[in-house]
Amino acid sequence: MVESVVVHTLNGIYYGFVLFMIASGLTIIFGVLGILNLAHGELYALGAFLVFSVVGFLAGLIAAPTDTVTAVIFGVVVLAGALAAAAVLLPVGAALEATFVRPIYEREEVYQLLLTYALLLILIDVMKFGWGTSPVSTGTYSGLNRIPTTEVLGFSYPSYNVIVILVGIAVFAWLVWFFDRTKTGRIVRATAINREMATAIGVSTDRTFTLVFAMGAFFAGFGGAMVSIGPSDAFLEMGLDPLVLSFVVIVIGGLGSLKGALVGALLVGVISRWTVGVFGLPQLELAAPFLLMAIILLAKPEGLYGTWGEIE
Amino acid sequence: MSRFTVDRDGETYVRPIEGLELTRRQAALGLVGLVLLLAVPDITRVTPLSFSIIHQGILFGLAAVGLNLLLRHTELVSFGHAAFFGAGAYGAAVLAHHYAVSSGLVLLVGGVLVATVVALVVGYLVAGYLDIYFALLTLAFNQVLFAFVLQSRYFNFNDGLAVRPEGTRPLLLGLELSPGAYSVILYYVTVAFLLVMLFAMWKIVNSPFGRALDAIGQDRTRARFIGIPVERYVWIAFTISGLYGGVAGGLFALLQLHVRPEPVLFVFVSGEILFMAILGGVGTLVGPVVGGVVLIYLLRLARFYVEYYHALTGIVLLVVVFLLPKGVLGSLPEIGDGLARRRREPGLLREDAGSVAESIRDGAGRAVSTVRIVVFGVK
Repeated sequence: MVESVVVHTLNGIYYGFVLFMIASGLTIIFGVLGILNLAHGELYALGAFLVFSVVGFLAGLIAAPTDTVTAVIFGVVVLAGALAAAAVLLPVGAALEATFVRPIYEREEVYQLLLTYALLLILIDVMKFGWGTSPVSTGTYSGLNRIPTTEVLGFSYPSYNVIVILVGIAVFAWLVWFFDRTKTGRIVRATAINREMATAIGVSTDRTFTLVFAMGAFFAGFGGAMVSIGPSDAFLEMGLDPLVLSFVVIVIGGLGSLKGALVGALLVGVISRWTVGVFGLPQLELAAPFLLMAIILLAKPEGLYGTWGEIE
Repeated sequence: MSRFTVDRDGETYVRPIEGLELTRRQAALGLVGLVLLLAVPDITRVTPLSFSIIHQGILFGLAAVGLNLLLRHTELVSFGHAAFFGAGAYGAAVLAHHYAVSSGLVLLVGGVLVATVVALVVGYLVAGYLDIYFALLTLAFNQVLFAFVLQSRYFNFNDGLAVRPEGTRPLLLGLELSPGAYSVILYYVTVAFLLVMLFAMWKIVNSPFGRALDAIGQDRTRARFIGIPVERYVWIAFTISGLYGGVAGGLFALLQLHVRPEPVLFVFVSGEILFMAILGGVGTLVGPVVGGVVLIYLLRLARFYVEYYHALTGIVLLVVVFLLPKGVLGSLPEIGDGLARRRREPGLLREDAGSVAESIRDGAGRAVSTVRIVVFGVK
C-alpha cells in the first residue's frame, strides 16, 4: 500500500514536471508580454514532432544499448537530440512573435486570443504538411529504461520518468538562475514591470519581447520533446490537453510566477494521479485539476504566488 | 411620409418598429438577409451548399449572440459558453433518453431550463471577476462540466446519448415526420426562435438595463457610484446569455439526434463561439450569426475542398484580426464606401495592393531579421 502511494506520487511528480516545462513557457510569455498564447500547445506538439526527426537521425548513428555504459551514452544522445529539437523552436518562436504578435500588443485581448488561435490552426497544418496525419513514435522509451535506477531508488521504477524529473528540476533551476542572476534576465523582469521606464533607459522592448516569446516556445518544445522520447506518440491533436492543463497550472500558481508554475504543476500532477490511484475515483480524474483551479480562483484570485505582470 | 419612414437630416430612415431606425441601405440588406434566411432549404437544394451545416452554424451563431451581450456591453470575455450550449443539448438528450419524452418542444424547454440553472450557478460565482480571471474561471467551470460528463456512466461517457431510439425522431408540433420534413420544419422552428430572440436581444440592449450594462463595461466603480447593482446586473446578463446558449444547444440536440461531449462541451467549442462573435462583428446584433455560419462552414466542410483546412480557417481569422477588426458584418459599411470610392478612382486599387504587399514585406522582413539575430547574433 505504502509502496503504491509512493509510486503514484512519483508518477504525479513526473507528470507535474512535464506540465511545468510547458506551463513555464506560457507563464513567462504571459508575465512579460501580457498575452495568453493559445498556440502554445502547438509549439509543444511541434517540439514532439521535431524530436522524432532529430532523434530518429541521431539514433540511427549509434547502436541500440546493450549494457549500462551504452545505455547511458544512448540516454545522453537522446537528451542532446531533445535539446537540438527544442532549439529549432527558438527561431520559429522569434519569427512568429516578430511577424504576427508584435503588431497587436495594444489591441484588446479578444483579438490577441483570436490571433493566437489562428496561429494554432495554421501550426496544426504545418505539422500535417511536415509529418503527415498518422502518429509517430521515436521508439527510444525501452532504450532509456535500460539506464539503471532501480538500485538507487530501491524499487522498480521506469528510468525514463526519473530522467524527466531530473530534467524538470534542471529547467526550473536554470530559469530561476536566468531571471535572478543574469543581466538579460533582470532586463526582462524590468521590462515586465515597467515598459516605458525600460525603454527610457535604453532597453529595446521589441527585442526583449522577442527573446521571451522565443524562450517560451523553446520550453514548450522541450516539454514536447521530453514527452515524445517517452512511451507516448507524437500526434496532431496532442497540443490541446496540455494547453488547457497549463492554463490550470499557471492560474493555480499565479499568472506570471515561475515558482507558482512549479508548485501548480506538481499539485495538478500529484492530485490527478492520486484521485485515480490512492482515492480510487477514476471518474474525477479529468475534473480534479479544474475543480482545484476553480476553488483557488474563487478563494485567492491572484493564485498561490500571484504577482501581476512580474516574473519571480 | 408614411408610418414606417422618418425624414431626418435630409435622409429617409425606415422605421419598422418604434425606436429602430435604419438607413435605406441597411433596411434593404436586412430584407435580403431575411429572405436568404427563409430560402436556405431551397437554396441548398439547388446548390452544393450543405443544409445541415448552415443550420448548425445558425445555432452556434445564436449562442454567440448570447455571448455577445457580455462581450459587447459588459466587456467580459467568457471562455466557457460551451457549458451552456452543452447543458442545453444534454438536458434535451437526457430527457429523451432516460425519461422517454418524445415531444420536441418539451425536450427543448427541458434543455433550456438545465442550461439556465447552470448559468445561474456559474454566473453567481463569477460575477465579481474581471478580465483574464473571468475568462479563466468560466473556462474552468466549462472544463469541470466537460470532464464530469465525459467520465459519467449516466451520460454514457464519450459515446454520448442518442436523443431518441434508433430510427425515430422527436415529435415536432405533435407530428411524427419523415427525415426530410423533420429537418426542414426544425429549420423553420430555428428561424422563428432566432428572429424572436434577436428581437428580444435588441430590446434588452436598448432598455435601461442594457445601458446599465454599458456603464458597467466602461467603469465598474463609476457604475457602482451612480447606484447600479453591478454584481447583480452582471449575474442577470450572464444568465440571459446562458439561456441563449441553452436554446441553441437544445435545438442542436434535436438537429443532431445524438449528443456527444466533445462537439458541444469541449473548451475549444467555447473558443469557437467567442471567435464567431468577433468574426461576424462584435458591435452588431446579427454579426455573431453570420460569424457562426462562416466559421462552422470553414471548420466542418472546408476539409472536403482543401487538404489544409485548418490553415485556411487560420488565415481567415488572421485577415479578420489585421484587416477587418470590426468583423465581417461590422465592416460592411466601410467596405461598401471603399468599393464605391475605388470604382470612381481605379488608381486607388494599385495603392491598396501596394500597401498590402508592403505590410506583408514588412512582416517577412521582421521575421527574417529576427531569425538572423537568433541564429547568428546581433553582428
